[in-house]
Amino acid sequence: MSPAKIRTSEELVDYAATLDCIHCGLCLETCPTYQLTGVETSSPRGRIHLMRAVAENNLVPDDAYRDEMEFCLVCRHCESVCPAGVRMGEMMSVARDSMHEDAPRSLGVRLARWLGFRVLLPNRAALRISGSLLRFAQKSGLLRWLAEHSPVAREQFAALAALPTVAPANLRRMLPARSPAIGSHSSSQTSVVSMFEGCVMPELYSQVNRATETVLTRLGAEVCTNPAAVCCGALHAHNGDLAGARSLAQKLINAYEPRESTEDSASTPIVVNSAGCSAHMKELAHLFDSADPWHARAEALAKRIVDFSEYVAPRLAEEQPDLRLDLSAPITWDNPCHLCHGQSIREQPLDILRSIDFGSNAFVELEGSESCCGSAGIYSALRPQDSADILDPKLDALKDSGAKLLITSNPGCQMQWQSGIRRRGLDVEVKHLAEVLDDALSRSVPESELDANERGE
Amino acid sequence: MNAKVHSELRAIVGDRGIVDSPTRIVPYESDGLAILRQRPELVLLPRTTEETAACMQVLHREGVPIVPRGAGTGLAGGATPVEGGVVIGLARMREVLELNVEDRFARVQAGLVNASLTRACEKHDLFYAPDPSSQRACTLGGNIAANSGGPHCFKYGNTTQHVLGLVIVTHDGEVLELTESDVEPLGYDLVGLFVGSEGTFGIATEIKLRLVRRPPVVETLLAIFTDLDSACETATKMIARRLEPSAIEILDKLTIQAVEDSVFAAGYPREAGAVLLTEVEGLEEEVSATSEDIRAIFSECGAIEVRTARDDAERLSLWAGRKGAFGAMGRVAPDLYVADACVPRTKLGAMVQQTVEIAKELNLRLATVFHAGDGNLHPNICYDRRDQDEVRRVLEAGRRILESCVDAGGSLSGEHGVGLEKLEQMEYQFAAEDLATMCLVRDVWDPDRRLNPGKLIPLRACMETRAAFIGKTPQDIAR
Ligand SMILES: Cc1cc2nc3c(=O)[nH]c(=O)nc-3n(C[C@H](O)[C@H](O)[C@H](O)COP(=O)(O)OP(=O)(O)OC[C@H]3O[C@@H](n4cnc5c(N)ncnc54)[C@H](O)[C@@H]3O)c2cc1C
Ligand code: SF4
Ligand code: SF4
Repeated sequence: MSPAKIRTSEELVDYAATLDCIHCGLCLETCPTYQLTGVETSSPRGRIHLMRAVAENNLVPDDAYRDEMEFCLVCRHCESVCPAGVRMGEMMSVARDSMHEDAPRSLGVRLARWLGFRVLLPNRAALRISGSLLRFAQKSGLLRWLAEHSPVAREQFAALAALPTVAPANLRRMLPARSPAIGSHSSSQTSVVSMFEGCVMPELYSQVNRATETVLTRLGAEVCTNPAAVCCGALHAHNGDLAGARSLAQKLINAYEPRESTEDSASTPIVVNSAGCSAHMKELAHLFDSADPWHARAEALAKRIVDFSEYVAPRLAEEQPDLRLDLSAPITWDNPCHLCHGQSIREQPLDILRSIDFGSNAFVELEGSESCCGSAGIYSALRPQDSADILDPKLDALKDSGAKLLITSNPGCQMQWQSGIRRRGLDVEVKHLAEVLDDALSRSVPESELDANERGE
Repeated sequence: MNAKVHSELRAIVGDRGIVDSPTRIVPYESDGLAILRQRPELVLLPRTTEETAACMQVLHREGVPIVPRGAGTGLAGGATPVEGGVVIGLARMREVLELNVEDRFARVQAGLVNASLTRACEKHDLFYAPDPSSQRACTLGGNIAANSGGPHCFKYGNTTQHVLGLVIVTHDGEVLELTESDVEPLGYDLVGLFVGSEGTFGIATEIKLRLVRRPPVVETLLAIFTDLDSACETATKMIARRLEPSAIEILDKLTIQAVEDSVFAAGYPREAGAVLLTEVEGLEEEVSATSEDIRAIFSECGAIEVRTARDDAERLSLWAGRKGAFGAMGRVAPDLYVADACVPRTKLGAMVQQTVEIAKELNLRLATVFHAGDGNLHPNICYDRRDQDEVRRVLEAGRRILESCVDAGGSLSGEHGVGLEKLEQMEYQFAAEDLATMCLVRDVWDPDRRLNPGKLIPLRACMETRAAFIGKTPQDIAR
């Protein structure tokens, strides 16, 4: 942890960006925290008003200010409707960064942040060990005990207890370095893609990574993975650790920059199946001053990032496989904020779902499918009550929709839905888009086309 | 107010219904007109009529001034707090209480957002007609208080034509139910009087509103012009020939460019001098006949291109562009002053000329959008509130624009109301006796003048009437 540098009040926030807001209020209704409270201060316009007041010395940041900033989910729904082009995500990163540098925090919080952000997330070995520890704590009942009896951080243990059960180590293995394309394809040449495995994905959702890889290979891509790419740093950037985010961005850029020893060329697409990560990676250059050489390198990387649905939808349209998946009940789609608001990706996932014949079980629309589920990275662990309150109206909508399978495409959202559904006692399964498409594809691909490797699974 | 009163109020609205931390209160210091700022002492966010009444009783007993607030999108400073006063916000009162599809009305809490009402009834093929450009954010209570208009009010009429009844809380916390007879109003039209009172008569907590059937056919046309004059001339001709589209809106070049840079880019051509957006609704034959006549006028007036929305999605996108125009100006400068000028429709062109000259003279950047059907133009002046001299020039331009409207036989406000912004010009439009009469009416509703004090009617006029009444000089009263 570097020593705090003294900032002027204008540097405590992104002052220039606050001036974009023209105070029209068109963002109010989209904001989940304004919906929840009806308080102007907890709205996008209110938060920008506070930031600007800080920069102009009309307000000294205090606990109430910090709490309002932390109450924001950085869901960026406001960005989707703001005619003035306000960039709340970036503004929040700056505001939170200065908060964490300047605010006195308890030793416990500082230690937890350091362990999480600086030791655990960037480090594959530490992640692997934690995956095993978590599995042990889940299986042995230790976590449940801690969630009820721990003298400290009980809410946080409860949040951990709500995580999906970690799979045994043999199922949590990383993907192979290369997986060849499967079958013959209409496109003239098969393409090479690099797939980003993510930090917690291999531990918590290894099946999603496997499904992603299979879908890509079945659509004619040769899939490479890159062991040097671990964590993209999105969580750091959103939670007031810009230095950590920058350092991870540099590692990532290094990992993917073309060189002889790796499969990556300057044009190899990098497919990302977690919407929060793909959104962050596309905007990596924001972390660096435009004069900084890293800025251009970050931009070069960003150009190669494609979200899973963005990569898959056009290829599916080209291949037009005959996809069928007979389910016993209706399905629905919940768009992750960082997909629809962060990347304006709305049609591609729907196109993918529309290409599958779900039998008599139609696709049903989820009301408010573009509003935040309250997962918001580590928000659900930091503010469990607010996070649950924000999910509540969505759980009502899910119940009203009658769907029995909810599809999303971000691990945080998947977890949040799973724990909310369990809390409510609903009978709904949650899956990643890749898992559903993998199911459908595996039923349509003739057995003979599967290679041995595939069948061995 | 002492701590005891605070906790009394807290007990009424609950912890989540009170905002009293000096930090959290900051964003309440202004409404959509951000140059006017005043921090209130307290913000209360009741959930029901009863809670509102209970708060008002306490505040009456304590003699505290009150400013009602909806979503704070008002552009005239109507919801700007007053020093030492309390803001009563309706943002947590957003229930639809009753939806009567047969009789086509809805009863709602006053904090319901305008667009939410249409969303709630669209599956029955109904909608709520007044559609201010802020409809996705502004509350129906705020619409009532400002008698708001919107593009389609050309056909359907402003808010006041759609209000069937109100529940209000008076200055001393009494709950009154005002209803409008559907058939023939009996006695005084108190609902009509309340609409447009800008929070000076009481707080509306529940509203009964008329809903309208969706027209079977809607055609949306976008005409593109090389210059603004031709667009204005087109609007004038459309009205002179008694064509009845439901809306006629014009956007000038700078506005088009700002919109096209925003998330609401609607495909308006950037190089156009102006675009005119109009919509025709009704039965199939009606629509095609009217739209044919309109097209004829378009070509007469030199439109270089006419587009028709092919489907609902395109229609909505053309409108979203128009409705995002104010916010899109945020791309041009940090602040925007929206003047709200209203002139007889035949004077539209001349008025535009005048605003352009005023802006040029004062060295200000101007972008104009029009509800041309109503003769309502919004000269939008871009500025930066940190530049004191620019602020002075903006206010001066605002004053001069409004005065020229009055001179042209128009009005001070098309739809945004008077609030704090246009107080001074009230004296330009109205004679002292008129203002004095308004004060007398106001005093009936709010004898202590604690409801939105200092708004709508200039204080001086008020003091003069009161002085005349009780035989004291204004100076005595002021003391
Ligand atoms: C982008 C944008 C576009 C706009 N477009 C239009 C337009 O097309 N047409 C138009 O007419 N206006 C328009 N406006 C102005 C504004 O949206 C309207 O005046 C709207 O009715 C205000 O509603 P609000 O809920 O925000 O009220 P506020 O701004 O909070 O309050 C407005 C006034 O009403 C009073 N008030 C609020 N609620 C109540 C209540 N329940 N009881 C009594 N008094 C109350 C307040 O004291 C204040 O005087 C626009 C504003 C913006 C920012
Ligand atoms: S929509 Fe944009 S410009 Fe308007 S108030 Fe919200 S953040 Fe500000
Ligand atoms: S990012 Fe989400 S929570 Fe934060 S202000 Fe915007 S809409 Fe509200």
